[in-house]
Amino acid sequence: MFNRLLLATYCLYLILPLYWLLTMAFKTNRDIVAKLEWIPDSPTLANFAEIFSNPVWLDGFTNSLTYVALNTVLSISVALPAAYAFSRYRFLGDKHLFFWLLTNRMSPPAVFLLPFFQLYSALELFDTPLAVALAHCLFTVPLAVWILEGFMSGIARDIDDMAKVDGHSTLSFFFRIFLPALRGGLGVTVFFCFMFSWVELLLARTLTGSETKPIVVVMTRTVSASGLDWGVLAAAGIMTVLPGLIVVWFIRKHLARGFALGRV
Amino acid sequence: MASVTLDAVTFRYPGSQGETLEALSLLVPDKSTHALLGASGAGKTTVLNLLSGSLKPTSGRILLDNVEVSKLPSAQRNVTQVFQFPVLYPAMTVRENLQFPLRNRGWKRADALARATEIARELDIEPLLESGLKALTLFERQLVAIGRALVRPDVGLVLLDEPLTAVQPELKWQLRKALRKVQTDLGVTMIYVTHDQTEALTFAAEVSVMQGGRILQTGSPIDVHDKPSHDYVGFFIGSPGMNFLEVEVRQRRVALAGWPLMSTLAADGDYRIGFRAEWATLGATGLPIKVTGFRADGLVDDAPVGVVTAQFGSTRLHVRHRGDLPGTDVCLQVKKYLLFKEGRRVD
Amino acid sequence: MLIKPVNQRAWFAVLPVVLVVAFSGVIPLMTVVNYSVQDILDVQTRFFVGFDWYRDALRDERLHAAFGRQLLFSLSVLLIEIPLGIMLARAVPRDSRWSSLMLVLLAIPLLVPLNVVGTIWQIFARGDIGPLGAALTALGIDFNYTQVPLHAWLTLLAMDVWHWTSLVILLAYAGLSSIPPAYYQAAALDGASRWQVFRHVELPHLRSVLMIAVLLRLMDSLMIYTEPLVLTGGGPGNTTTFLSQYLATIAVGQFDLGPAAAFSILYFLLILLLCWLFYTAVTAGDGGDRS
Repeated sequence: MFNRLLLATYCLYLILPLYWLLTMAFKTNRDIVAKLEWIPDSPTLANFAEIFSNPVWLDGFTNSLTYVALNTVLSISVALPAAYAFSRYRFLGDKHLFFWLLTNRMSPPAVFLLPFFQLYSALELFDTPLAVALAHCLFTVPLAVWILEGFMSGIARDIDDMAKVDGHSTLSFFFRIFLPALRGGLGVTVFFCFMFSWVELLLARTLTGSETKPIVVVMTRTVSASGLDWGVLAAAGIMTVLPGLIVVWFIRKHLARGFALGRV
Repeated sequence: MASVTLDAVTFRYPGSQGETLEALSLLVPDKSTHALLGASGAGKTTVLNLLSGSLKPTSGRILLDNVEVSKLPSAQRNVTQVFQFPVLYPAMTVRENLQFPLRNRGWKRADALARATEIARELDIEPLLESGLKALTLFERQLVAIGRALVRPDVGLVLLDEPLTAVQPELKWQLRKALRKVQTDLGVTMIYVTHDQTEALTFAAEVSVMQGGRILQTGSPIDVHDKPSHDYVGFFIGSPGMNFLEVEVRQRRVALAGWPLMSTLAADGDYRIGFRAEWATLGATGLPIKVTGFRADGLVDDAPVGVVTAQFGSTRLHVRHRGDLPGTDVCLQVKKYLLFKEGRRVD
Repeated sequence: MLIKPVNQRAWFAVLPVVLVVAFSGVIPLMTVVNYSVQDILDVQTRFFVGFDWYRDALRDERLHAAFGRQLLFSLSVLLIEIPLGIMLARAVPRDSRWSSLMLVLLAIPLLVPLNVVGTIWQIFARGDIGPLGAALTALGIDFNYTQVPLHAWLTLLAMDVWHWTSLVILLAYAGLSSIPPAYYQAAALDGASRWQVFRHVELPHLRSVLMIAVLLRLMDSLMIYTEPLVLTGGGPGNTTTFLSQYLATIAVGQFDLGPAAAFSILYFLLILLLCWLFYTAVTAGDGGDRS
């Protein structure tokens, strides 16, 4: 069937560069630059050893994970009530507000390099995970509101009314009834927030110094005396794909559900 | 136009434990209306899907006009279907929706237009022909869906899967009327699936009551009401459903918890009697029961008539009564009853 | 569609979002607007120059060139990724054990840090030590993306397709999964071909989801910075220098805050305009949908 063939070919296309990254991680720099081999002749763990022994790398990971987690929690926390308001009520300026939110997603990060630097320095937030988390909020919050609103509109308002009749307070309703019904939507939102924040480089680099250097920045500085250390870079690259993989693996049921509901 | 025969049809969903449908047999005469009635999960929609070709039977045969179609793909069966909500092509106008099945079979544009107009006129939606679907109400869209199901002149069987579900309550009767009109005018065989007995009993000439993948009884609306062959049928049909009491038969006498009730020709053993609310009366003598409520639904000669709810032990009973209630403690007299053993009616 | 009741107190629920986004967005934007109308020689010395920088930017030929390249890139990316994404979404099995596995696999490219994406393709496309480059060389093509502009472009496109098509696939998959089976059954009874089912059942149902996919890809491709920077550095020469990189060069490299700020504002307005044009063009025939 043509469809299956297309899908299989595309999957191959997806996997190949990742496989290549994997093989590079197990080769020395010299071997990488010397020749092309599908399976490393003399595999080495040196690159990974370098990463696990050098605190710079480990710190880089922790720093990245910190601001990504912060961003996800922050984005979802503020987006949930807002999305609820948009999906359940009309109010003065609601359409314009929604549109304004989306336009923030359209601002090129490059535009904010200098202003962000000045703003966060002035607030003495420079070089903190909070700075990066907040900066990323500019992009993740609008998307979170957009996605969550879509999912919430799919949950019939009857649930709200029934809960009130049953005597739930608003908070209790929210946590015990509404959120569980929103599992798919939350899964998709977590995915998009994590995705954006984890992969972003420009803002993460601008707003961090030596204290909170994220892993992506550590990687761009990996230059040894003989030029770029491809091996270590590749090993680090593999390590940066892992957290994403883990997150997606754990929320895969919610993700499948959320994407299947078609409310993205 | 087609008669429909299901011959010992069995179906099992891949991966499920038991059979969804067990050796189902059914005969629906040409040009008639037949309802499949039952609770959700009874297997009604599965029967529909087997008839339409969405599913293929695990064993058994399906015949349309005495031609076996069990393995034929949907498009070749001369079957169409109306669903619970209007299933139409979103980007097409009403006319294009109606013409679609015809154009697919090679009809020329002019002929397809003529037939589409004719069907639209039959359903009173001719003024809507050039509209896009967004401008139509839910009711109108369902009419278009029905039109599309009828547009092919060679359609022998129209399957209806709870077609009144999405429509507002006040418009349901209108849709029902339209369905009945097109069925008589065009003479198509219709099989109608529903869990609503009023819909089934008022629409169809014959009703099959289904439960757990089996047909319990097929008969006219009167037959399934007055002579249910299964206690489930008695319970499901009628508003309120049939009352049931556990009884014993000893030496030709039916006794209920020791109380002798009536004589019978049945053999000794444990049975149940079933009686409808209107087959019993309340009085001073008989089986002692406790009245728990009375819902009047009318007046006859200045006396209220309605349904009395009562308890006999842990069993709830419904009895039709006229006049004021004689009090909480009354006696029940069963005038007419049916005897059931292990679910089946015993004559 | 149930009518939503009016409730002005909903503003309290929306306030946190407004505060966060205003802080992250509006304040910095104001700074940029401020800079864009001034000539800043140093912290102390600044002069108001009105729209001078804007005029200069609009006349800047290198800006025009970068803009042209950017448009070409975004257009190519959309033309490849959207149809490809839809086709692949139709091929992904639904309701099967493989479904969640496929989704995870498809999600992986989206979770690779942008610079790693660039790094992977840097090696991958090299003629001597990368599989893609080597394969092309074996076919007789002298493939060198660091020196031949066309090769650089093709590698960039291949990289972007690898990276972002998954997004379109996931979104289209979501849309397809939400189509009730009854539509497919009815189409089968009507004798519709596979192509007709796609055109008359699937595509109309995919409209809103596709809108999101196209808007996201349009926005993100217009803003693209890290991946091309790592892969080609904007070269050979400046043949793959797009708008973001050009802006970064001016802002950071040359420390010309005024012109950079003006360019920034224009850049932002451009993206806004293109998205808005696309959105209105597509929803023109509708009875009006919420944003």
